[in-house]
Amino acid sequence: MSMIAVGVSGFIIMVGLMLLGLPIASVMLLVGLGGGMIAYGGAFLVSSASVAWGTMSENGLTAIPLFVLLGEFLLRSGMADRMYVVFAAWLGRLPGGLLHTNIGCCALFAATSGSSVATAATIGTVALPSLAKHGYPMKEALGSLAAGGTLGILIPPSVNMIIYGSMTNNSVGKLFIAGIIPGLLLTLSFMLWILLSTIASGKRVVHELVPLAERVRLLKNLFEPLVVFGIVMGSLYFGIATATESAALGVVAALFFMARGGKLTRKLLLQCFTSSARTSGMILLIVVAAFVLNLALSLTGIGEALTKWVTAFGLSRFETLVALIVFYLILGMFMDTLSMMVATIPLTYPVVSALGVDPIWFGIFIVIMCELGLITPPVGMNLFVVQGIRPDRGSVSDVIQGIIPYAVIMIVFTLLLIAVPDIVTWLPQKMQG
Amino acid sequence: MKRFETVLAALFGAVFLFLSVAVAVETLMRKIFNKSLQGVDELGGYSLAIGAALAFTMALLSRSHMRIDLVHDRLPRLPRALLNLAAAIFLALSAVSLVAMAGYSLNDSIGMSSTAQTPWATPLKYPQSVWLAVLAVFMLAALGYALRALWLAATGRVGQLDDEFQPKSTKDELKEELEDIKARGAAESIGTSGGEKTP
Repeated sequence: MSMIAVGVSGFIIMVGLMLLGLPIASVMLLVGLGGGMIAYGGAFLVSSASVAWGTMSENGLTAIPLFVLLGEFLLRSGMADRMYVVFAAWLGRLPGGLLHTNIGCCALFAATSGSSVATAATIGTVALPSLAKHGYPMKEALGSLAAGGTLGILIPPSVNMIIYGSMTNNSVGKLFIAGIIPGLLLTLSFMLWILLSTIASGKRVVHELVPLAERVRLLKNLFEPLVVFGIVMGSLYFGIATATESAALGVVAALFFMARGGKLTRKLLLQCFTSSARTSGMILLIVVAAFVLNLALSLTGIGEALTKWVTAFGLSRFETLVALIVFYLILGMFMDTLSMMVATIPLTYPVVSALGVDPIWFGIFIVIMCELGLITPPVGMNLFVVQGIRPDRGSVSDVIQGIIPYAVIMIVFTLLLIAVPDIVTWLPQKMQG
Repeated sequence: MKRFETVLAALFGAVFLFLSVAVAVETLMRKIFNKSLQGVDELGGYSLAIGAALAFTMALLSRSHMRIDLVHDRLPRLPRALLNLAAAIFLALSAVSLVAMAGYSLNDSIGMSSTAQTPWATPLKYPQSVWLAVLAVFMLAALGYALRALWLAATGRVGQLDDEFQPKSTKDELKEELEDIKARGAAESIGTSGGEKTP
């Protein structure tokens, strides 16, 4: 059997076991160990031992539990909840009204919370009764919430970017900075769609204007999350801190704001620790497993053989990337996005590198593909979260129909990034340090 | 079990809170006073190794290790229960593999008197011993889970096996989030402070 056949059949078996409901991390770890030990015997276990210690003691990955903890602090202390008030007051008058609020608030909230479920659940719980009361069409309302929730992994800080950076040996700081412009542009594209579709349908919900003085007063609710975001991103951009250091600075700043607001209680801290330990444990076991799998792929030469096989087709950069969009679109329908990312990077990264694609650009591309995976049925986590909190008891097909325009926007946006890669690469090139 | 989980959570939090403060102090000292505490990076690495091993157990106890329930949920009860048994065995095997890897690493470090390539030059056997011990806790918990699942299967309690070991669904996660939202009064506070300003 050729290496290609071994690689492809191994990948299919692995995805098959995952789809049957076996734990993603265990499947990756045991397939990696099993494959490596078939090829190299017990020696592979010794090699993977140094990979396991190297991964689990890599200071760069410490950013993952720290950012998860930071998100928990901002979420559970209610700092993030209060953002909705501000966005509703400032964006409610635009054609599309509170739908803009959903997108804007999800973008900022997700940038700090790091959890797609928490973002869609919090914003949805707050927004849906209000949207229903004002007569917003349910499909559009649900679509905007599910799509808005995906923005969090593109707008930094993003756990997906830390994992990509660590697996491919690229700067996490540069990936974070590279996510800013595409994140803002995608947010604006969603809002533009809401604006145009509302004008075209003629079904505009008119809200009473909140007085300017009140709107200005409400801005204070954005102060704390913006300071934390500014510390994290500013320290990275100006070369003051690495991703791990910026996360630590963010945690300390959030602790300060919690203490100042009288929220720093033992109960709240324990709740944040419990929740962040569970999330970090789930993510980090997948990461360790991915590194062991990666070792098996590189030692057995499967990764290299696959790269040669794909490049032998002679596809151009554009054709390869379009083929990857289709690949990730299909995979994202059935797999959870984090596992999809770690399982495929060892295979796709060498292929695109051989074609001269910028590694930071490709990181952003992968993250947008993960965003798509969050809203593509049947396994689109955000679809089910939004469906789970809607006040009426309608069908999930409403959410799916509501999400279609946003999925199309994401694909068109990805094609735009392929045509104009500078949208991603320009800002990281300007970074200091 | 709840108490055990609380202890693990407190340890996890203490590790990363202490680290955050140390890293923040080191970063500020480096930039403002041009002085370094030395070794905070190294401490970050060891904190991750130990914190992650603690977190693996926390994720196990709360059924948070990710599983895709697309096919699983649509199966009849018996194959679903058998898949749950397989999942518990897979997690136990993973934990045993990790402990074996940690054991090899520690053995190597002791045999070669390895030290970290850092200013502290810490003998690696110390952090790796703690790492191995915390991973062993994960292994014991995972083996306990797998044995319980095997016992339920062997005694024909298929329903119980299906209920206790099913994957945590998005629905479960959502339920937890909604309970927390209710507890912190997010919707109410927003509703009364401006969210309903737009009739």
